[in-house]
Amino acid sequence: MSEPLLVLDNVTKNYGAIEALKGISFSIGKGEVVALLGDNGAGKSTLVKIISGGLEPTSGRMLFEGKEFLARSPAEAKAAGIETVYQDLSLCTNVDVVANFFMGREITRKVLGIPVLDERAMEVVVGKALANAGTRIPSLRTNVEHLSGGQRQAIELNRFVHWGGKLVLLDEPFAALGVEQTRRGLDMIRQVASQGIGVVIITHIMQQAFQVADRIVVIRQGVVAGDVARNKTSPDAVINMITGETLAGAGPTG
Amino acid sequence: MNPRTRHALEFVLDNLVWFMLVFVLVVFSIFIPNYFQLGIFANIIEASSVLGVMSIGLALVIIAGHMDLSVESVAALSAMVVGILFCSSGIGLGIQLHPEWLMVPVSLLLALAVGGLIGAFNGLLVVKVKMSAFIITLASYIWVRGLVLVISGGRSAQDLAPSIRWFGIQRLIGLPLTAWIAIACFVVFSLIMAKTPFGRHLVMIGGNETATFRAGIRVNRNLIIAFILAGAIAGLAGWLLAIRTSGATANLGVGLLFNAFAAVVIGGVSLKGGVGTLPGVYAGVLLLSAINTAINLMGLPANFTQVIHGLLVLAAVLLDAFKQTIRQRLA
Repeated sequence: MSEPLLVLDNVTKNYGAIEALKGISFSIGKGEVVALLGDNGAGKSTLVKIISGGLEPTSGRMLFEGKEFLARSPAEAKAAGIETVYQDLSLCTNVDVVANFFMGREITRKVLGIPVLDERAMEVVVGKALANAGTRIPSLRTNVEHLSGGQRQAIELNRFVHWGGKLVLLDEPFAALGVEQTRRGLDMIRQVASQGIGVVIITHIMQQAFQVADRIVVIRQGVVAGDVARNKTSPDAVINMITGETLAGAGPTG
Repeated sequence: MNPRTRHALEFVLDNLVWFMLVFVLVVFSIFIPNYFQLGIFANIIEASSVLGVMSIGLALVIIAGHMDLSVESVAALSAMVVGILFCSSGIGLGIQLHPEWLMVPVSLLLALAVGGLIGAFNGLLVVKVKMSAFIITLASYIWVRGLVLVISGGRSAQDLAPSIRWFGIQRLIGLPLTAWIAIACFVVFSLIMAKTPFGRHLVMIGGNETATFRAGIRVNRNLIIAFILAGAIAGLAGWLLAIRTSGATANLGVGLLFNAFAAVVIGGVSLKGGVGTLPGVYAGVLLLSAINTAINLMGLPANFTQVIHGLLVLAAVLLDAFKQTIRQRLA
């Protein structure tokens, strides 16, 4: 593994008396794709929210690029270089494609010292980004509410590819995509990782995990039940880790 | 459907309230004697200045997905503060400043500050305590009006200082300066909403607050600013109201809230948040004012106005639902 980008050290999260995360420790390297697997309610989404600044951990610590890291808000995580694509899409359907693409990072120019949106510049950037990814959307000025589920997800994916950063978290990013778009999405992930960006992808589909990931981390009942390199395990072994019937040869647990 | 008719249809839907305004003006001009006069049109604009300014603030918070029911009472409190300090009879203290023009900025700043403070109070409670804006501002609507009664003792202040009154008397191209202030507010805030990141963020917060928070937009800060703006703008409306009535009474502006609501809804702002523009709201305000004027000219009892306003709001909400269906067909 290359040098670690993000290290989680015994991270826990309690909701009242319920322990959602009982102590998660693993790390993500630069340019590495980690697939995070686990049954419903295993704590995957909670973990993603903790890294991306949506939730604060109850205890434990995180090291990002070797420095102590805790994001108190998504804005802080973003500033540090962590991009997140959520399971329920984070688009504002009442505004157009361009506005969504630049949400919170609009290009502005100063008119009499007042920041004014530079719509034309933004439209050019979005047009290029979508064209590069092969996404076709009739008009960038259409409100997102008029677009299909697949088109919406494509906007989200293109958005993270464009902004990049240092670490990308994807929470079931392909739920609404067709076969061809999924393939393209997986290509995008490899492409992003090849630029040295760390990628964490949550998925339920074993095939996707084995297609794209370098390493597979399984979470079960709030702890890491398995952390293995992809080429040293098999889908059956991973399924056993997810359900709790760990077999010999499934790789080191930890 | 070809793209051209589709664009035309979308344009009509986006600006429906302006078409309604033109339609109503044409119909009134044809069927009501003496309606078609420049003086009448100037009067429509003039009569809508206080309501117009107040509607801007209300529209801002509604577009951001929240609610401010306190604007009417805040305007009354600002008017009363200005009235008590700068009126010379009634409960007015008749404070004089030298030079006289100094009273204009001082009174204006006071009105804005009173409104802004209450707006900040509302905003902080909504954002930090996470209470419903409807309930918090309903409470403010009540206690602020109560405060007006307390500081005035239920009595009124008359004879506002002439240097402030000047804004209501001095005319520029047929309109009093107060009307120009309202128009300027609409222009400025329309630009802010359409052209600046702050305006764009408010619209997006109204559309999907979670998404904007995740995108790193400072949602709380933006919302508090929106509430402060709504309060300060209501304060400005109160200042204009004090000028228009040359003083303040304890029940000044009662009922304005519902007219402002009607204007905002008729203007195409959705109560669900995230939808609507300020030029549309201005058209809504003018539409209400045009209808009031027609009722006056026809010699109908003024009591009819309220019935008609109520029906208009209903019509606007129905129209909104209808527009949604058409848009879905278009997509």
